[in-house]
Amino acid sequence: MSAALVYVGIAVVLAALFAYLAARQSRDSLAIDKARSLMDSLDIEAFRNLVDPEEEAFLRSSLPAAQFRTVKRERAWAALAYVRALSHVALQFSRFGHALRHSPDPRLAELGRQIASGAVHLRFVALEASGRLLMAAAFPDLPQRCPHSLFDQYTRSTGLLLRYGTLERARKQPS
Amino acid sequence: MMNWYKFLLFYLWIAPHLLLVVVALLLLKRRLYTNFPVFTLYAWYEIAEFVLLLTTALITGLNRAGLYGRVFVVTLAISTALRFGVLQEIFNNVFREHGQIDALARVVLRWTTGFLLAVAVLCAIFASGQTSDGLVAAVAWVGRGVAIIQCGLVLFLFLFSRLFGLSLQSYVFGIALGFGILSSVELANSAMHIGTLTESMTRALNLLPTGGYHVAVLLWLGYLVAPARQILRPSDVPVGDVNQWNRELERFLQ
Repeated sequence: MSAALVYVGIAVVLAALFAYLAARQSRDSLAIDKARSLMDSLDIEAFRNLVDPEEEAFLRSSLPAAQFRTVKRERAWAALAYVRALSHVALQFSRFGHALRHSPDPRLAELGRQIASGAVHLRFVALEASGRLLMAAAFPDLPQRCPHSLFDQYTRSTGLLLRYGTLERARKQPS
Repeated sequence: MMNWYKFLLFYLWIAPHLLLVVVALLLLKRRLYTNFPVFTLYAWYEIAEFVLLLTTALITGLNRAGLYGRVFVVTLAISTALRFGVLQEIFNNVFREHGQIDALARVVLRWTTGFLLAVAVLCAIFASGQTSDGLVAAVAWVGRGVAIIQCGLVLFLFLFSRLFGLSLQSYVFGIALGFGILSSVELANSAMHIGTLTESMTRALNLLPTGGYHVAVLLWLGYLVAPARQILRPSDVPVGDVNQWNRELERFLQ
């Protein structure tokens, strides 16, 4: 009977977890302003500098090995904070894009599909970059690759969002 | 007391299937069968299964060792296979638009299914108990393994889609949630059925799967009727964290 009780316990926990996920799904806000604020706060150039292989090569050549490792670790952690923020922005983009897909305006619905798809890809490359930065923090002597795809995808996503702004303004203007 | 039990037993057996007719009709009316042909088939199959079992029960009685028991096992096997089909269909619908994620999801799903299958087999080997009723115990033994796999797959779907920020459409989420609740109730039910049971416990447990099924059908219906999320509300969210990171970074770069 004790084994049965363990299974019942697991089943109850799972049912509660499913109910919690359902409640969270209905509470998730779709705040595009939140994504925009986060975007405005991100200094992409500073982030680009942090993961620039040329910068890294310069630091490697001009600093003693021990100091270089310390600096590389700190740079990796700082870059990781940026990637986390980007990842969060991607999540907001995705929610916004998915909601926009239900728009009665076919242009907005199509744009929503593109925003959602781009955001999911941005989240994917952000998670990939997080893994690489963690590796860089753990093993600073390994050479670092610039996450080009992350920057490219971010630029594409922000471009789509700008298009949404333009479309919305055009819709609101009296004809 | 006995009358109430019988009433509840029949209510929980009949009512979900009547509601399932509404679900099946909504799937047809909204043309959702084009995206979810297996779920539509599952809904109609469950209704047909119910009619067949009810007819058999009325003619031969609820004798588990007789014709009813054999029909029950065969229809349950088909229903279980269809449920796996529905879960596969949900996965396809959720991930197919996202090429890279789709490929990753397929690989991770394969490994997750393999892992869950291994867990189910190990549970079956190490936790077999005494049996009170041969057929019921055998069904429960297989049912427990199936419930473990299905629960795990639904959990994987929810967690994986959240990780990549994939918002499940209202009814897709509802279908998956219904199967999640149904599988967890069946896990508890099948685990309790393996072992010696008193008559009162057996009677109480008879209500569990149909009760869980009732909840699942209500969820499917609710999420089908509920409108899709369209809330695009602006909000003023503090961006202190990111500003702080920027400041820290500027300090570091000086």
